[in-house]
Amino acid sequence: MRLQYPSDIKIIFVPCTGKVDVLHILRAFEKGADGVCVVGCLEGDCHFISGNFRARKRVEQVQKILDTIGIGGERAQMYNLSSGEGPRFAQFAIEMDERIRKLGPNPMKLAKKKAA
Amino acid sequence: MIVADKKPIEEIIEEIKNHEKILILGCNECVTVCEAGGKKEVGVMASALRMYFLNQGQEVKIDEKTLERQCDHEYLEEIRDVMDQYDAVVSLACGVGVQFMAEKYHTTPIYPGVNTCFLGVTEERGVWTERCQACGECILARTGGICPVSRCAKRLLNGPCGGATKGKCEINKELDCAWQLIIDRLKALGKMDDYEKITPIKDWSTERAGGPRKVVREDVQQ
Amino acid sequence: MVNHPRYIDPVKCTGCGECAMHCPVAAINEINKGLDDRRAAYIEYPQAVPLAYAIDFDACIGCGLCENMCMAKAIKYDDTERETAVKVGSVILSTGSQAYDPSDLDYLGYGKYPNVVTSEGFERILCAGGPYLGHVMRPLDREEPKSIAWLQCIGSRDINRCGNGYCSSVCCMYAIKEAMIAKEHIHADVDCAIFNMDMRTFGKDYEKYFLRARDNEDIRFVKARAHTITEIPETGDLILQYADEAGQMKEEIFSMVVLSVGLKIPDSSVDLARRLRIELNKYNFVNTGSFTPVATSRPGIYTCGVFQGPKDIPGSITEASAAACLAGTDVAEARGEDIEVIEIPEEMDVTKEEPRIGVFVCNCGINIGGIVDVTSVQEYAGTLPYVVFTDQNLFTCSQDTQDKIKEIVIEHKLNRVVVASCTPKTHEGMFMDTLEACGLNKYLFEMANIRNQCSWVHPNNPTAATEKSKDLVRMAVARVATLKSLHEKKIPVNQRALIIGGGVAGMNAALSLADQGFPVTIVEKEEKLGGMANRLTTTIEGADVEIYLEELIQKVTSHPQVEVLPRSLIVNFSGFQGNFTTEILVGPGMYERKIDHGVVILATGAVEYRPKEFLYGQDQRVVTQIELSERLKEKGAQDLNRVVMIQCIGSRNKENPNCSKVCCQSAIKNALHIKKLQPDAQIFILYRDIRTYGFLEDYYTEARKLGVLFFRFNSEDPPVVESSEAGVMVTFKDNILDRSLRVSADLLALSSGMVAEDTEELASIVKLARTEDGYFMEDHVKLKPVDMATEGIFVCGTAHSPKLLPESIAQALAAASRATTYLSKDQLTLSAVTAWVNPELCASCLICVRSCPYGVPVINEDGISEIDEALCHGCGVCAAECPAKAIELNWYEDNQILSKVDALLEGVL
Repeated sequence: MRLQYPSDIKIIFVPCTGKVDVLHILRAFEKGADGVCVVGCLEGDCHFISGNFRARKRVEQVQKILDTIGIGGERAQMYNLSSGEGPRFAQFAIEMDERIRKLGPNPMKLAKKKAA
Repeated sequence: MIVADKKPIEEIIEEIKNHEKILILGCNECVTVCEAGGKKEVGVMASALRMYFLNQGQEVKIDEKTLERQCDHEYLEEIRDVMDQYDAVVSLACGVGVQFMAEKYHTTPIYPGVNTCFLGVTEERGVWTERCQACGECILARTGGICPVSRCAKRLLNGPCGGATKGKCEINKELDCAWQLIIDRLKALGKMDDYEKITPIKDWSTERAGGPRKVVREDVQQ
Repeated sequence: MVNHPRYIDPVKCTGCGECAMHCPVAAINEINKGLDDRRAAYIEYPQAVPLAYAIDFDACIGCGLCENMCMAKAIKYDDTERETAVKVGSVILSTGSQAYDPSDLDYLGYGKYPNVVTSEGFERILCAGGPYLGHVMRPLDREEPKSIAWLQCIGSRDINRCGNGYCSSVCCMYAIKEAMIAKEHIHADVDCAIFNMDMRTFGKDYEKYFLRARDNEDIRFVKARAHTITEIPETGDLILQYADEAGQMKEEIFSMVVLSVGLKIPDSSVDLARRLRIELNKYNFVNTGSFTPVATSRPGIYTCGVFQGPKDIPGSITEASAAACLAGTDVAEARGEDIEVIEIPEEMDVTKEEPRIGVFVCNCGINIGGIVDVTSVQEYAGTLPYVVFTDQNLFTCSQDTQDKIKEIVIEHKLNRVVVASCTPKTHEGMFMDTLEACGLNKYLFEMANIRNQCSWVHPNNPTAATEKSKDLVRMAVARVATLKSLHEKKIPVNQRALIIGGGVAGMNAALSLADQGFPVTIVEKEEKLGGMANRLTTTIEGADVEIYLEELIQKVTSHPQVEVLPRSLIVNFSGFQGNFTTEILVGPGMYERKIDHGVVILATGAVEYRPKEFLYGQDQRVVTQIELSERLKEKGAQDLNRVVMIQCIGSRNKENPNCSKVCCQSAIKNALHIKKLQPDAQIFILYRDIRTYGFLEDYYTEARKLGVLFFRFNSEDPPVVESSEAGVMVTFKDNILDRSLRVSADLLALSSGMVAEDTEELASIVKLARTEDGYFMEDHVKLKPVDMATEGIFVCGTAHSPKLLPESIAQALAAASRATTYLSKDQLTLSAVTAWVNPELCASCLICVRSCPYGVPVINEDGISEIDEALCHGCGVCAAECPAKAIELNWYEDNQILSKVDALLEGVL
């Protein structure tokens, strides 16, 4: 469909969001990602039955951790769409980009700069 | 299994904030099974702590390691070579592991990373309940395989108290009355006669009340 | 068979292009519709197979330059026609169509005014490999057009100028598509207007596309057929003259006009049919029957695609499978003979080698190269760890590039390959085959999708698109370095097919498989087979559905290989391709049956929508079209003097935006029937667009000839229906008179659409994706129209989307054909992407056992979790949940995923 979305979004392919580990999401933040979104099938329509529900719980877990340590839980998001919904993907990407721009960069970047 | 629950990260941060080189140490036994202190939880906590300190502008080294068990010398010895690299350890093992680590590595502070809760079972994933209090003198043979020491709030040994209503405990309506369970089971086993037998006063000296305990078995001693 | 001479030996030709580069002769480039030139030595288009040059002898001057230049000695000026004979059991005619040539329609100015192009020409203009490299320009001055008009039905629905009375079925959709892409490609605002008589967006979810074009992309749809185009000589702009719906003369100026030309059968196909003694219809398409949609008049010869009738890609692919089914059934006994096995060289063991990565960056014509700076991406790739070779190609997917990659892998001893190009969804398999062909394990491969994720989606920011491409390449290189060789497992196949639904589609699929010797079980929820067809009387062509159905049921129930389970309900489903198990409650006793089978065909069908509109159910004189057919059969039409029909009931509205495809022809079928029984009856059909696609258009024409009156209404201004003793009073607007008309009808027929059968429970038991309106969702709307996403499960008939009987039958045969590709094998090759447990780390905690959605992991005798690779679906939930991190999913191991995270964020902190 070639729908445009912000180029800051980079995709890492996984066979199912059920494969996305809390550790993977945390690692991305630890390495300086400003935001991470996990994009899975529609709820109830997971290609692997329930992987997207597990993924949602993990994203919630990450949100809690990020809030606790002062990085901001909002930076992690779970989105659901079906494979035929290109426009929704673009919309989510734009939404995520806007959300992160509002939140600003990963605070660790600033902290690191200050420390240096 | 020893059931433990995760400690809030804030609490751990508070404990270790003055250290600079920290090892997060997991245990691949009970705490792995109850999803509180295995390799994965070590990773989650380590990652969260690294981010926290970085964000605070504090340079803190946080490493991860998971041992097969923290209640055996040999496994604890595996980290002897690296222990001098750390000025603190957060052990995600149960209280046993934390203490054994502390005994072994006398000069390094060891902090608990989980709250050790009880000896229990997994009812379903994410739900654990208590079954045993390690009293040192098992009476399950007489109580239909249901333990009044751990499951009766009052640890009564000769039938329920007057507070039990409709099979539930008076301290919590969700909680089954252990004696109701015992009676039901004895009935099912056709051993209600056992219920009539008076259990003599239990020797609590083998329980925690008798002070720290010790088991020595010469047959297996080397 | 006659092979025409190519004058260049396709076996010797390496496709290097030296001949074309040195050829001094320019010839018209037919593929680009004459918008540019090619040489006399040429390749028709870059995706051609074989990718070998040929000489256009009509243009060639015989100078001998190419012969001198050709290092492969492939030039053969004395090449001659060759005749060969092949003995075959069946023949499939799929010669396709050509576009209608509008040169003779002088009022359009095609050939006279450069800025009037055909839709084919415009398609080439939009194409990256086309004459303008994908930049939308008008031919006259190579300026970007400010406004473009599409004129529909050029060479279709036109008995006045060209005698093509049929509708070409595809032009409405492609015109919308061209307009959408033009809007996307042209950077400035462009006005796109589609001049049409009816918008025929009747396919699955097509109406939604039309609505998106109209409501979100501001594409204009004008109800008119332009009668004259004149050029303004000074500007090259074109004046379009037409009469609007009210009959007013209108004029509009456009910078460019696209003629939406229809589909036509080429003379060569007509000749071929004559030689093969195949009957053609009056428009030269193959004559096929209502119930035998892909069989020609001659046994053993089948047809598919546009030669059968005008149709789009999914329809053609479906029919292709259907024709293959029948052709295969004829020769089923000989299956397995004359098989050529592709030899794969022995795999090199690279496990101990340090990674040596080759990165191939694709320009994809200008699809990538037009936006992304491919050279800088290639140079960047060369700086990455373990990368020992980089290259860029115009089309990395072309056959000659595959050969080149093979040579490079061997020459540079590469043991990992990254291709930065398009989507792995379409091309991963091909590149993996290439790896295999050079003895490299095919899993030592990674794609960076710099087309779909960079150039296509960030066309306005080439710098960002280039930087992102570099990021994606860095990530791909990081991951490929961590990959390990993987090997696929082979499993046996159960040869039974389970067919869910015993309607016309299900029964046809069952018979096709049974006739090829595969055992079949049909699960039908009703007592009686036949489904919705039980309510149908005849097809619009006049074929008797009742007799057909009776015979079909007879054949199915008496076939020794078919077992029918009526009044049955599926309660459980498990297994995988080739090895499914389904638990069924079989009526009337509802006893439980467990059936093992290798494939599933979904044929659950649809039902007629039960109207809530227009007094249906309140006034007995308001009926549906199916009810009307039944009534006409039972009671005739003597009492019907005035009948009104209203189209799009339960379709094309808010609740169901899609078109039900069949209702226009149902209305016309019934109108014709009434006219036949009662010639004086007045019939009013109130419609929004008449969608009598293909040859159905003839019946629309016939109905108008017989005096059936058609009135178009807008969805915002629908007819008003009131009940009165005299009749059903219908008030609607006449566009020409521009006033309301009121008709008192003896009968109001509502053309109610189709609604998918309720398959919610089935979909959840079998884990099947459905569209919003409850139709099963195929794996790919264009390219895999009968396969479901789960391997070994297929869909056909109205369970897929609303369709007519012949189309349901064709799709049923297609589903059977696709199923045969599984059932005819002794064993299937399974995915290597499965989970495995590291026993050293496993704490036997049971969390994998509890979290696997398919119940695959078990704790084995050694007290360690074990995952059966034949059962594992490869979702990776267990790996993510494992608290001991003892489980890895092949090809997506934690370090393999994290390598991408780390590479992406390298240097950020």
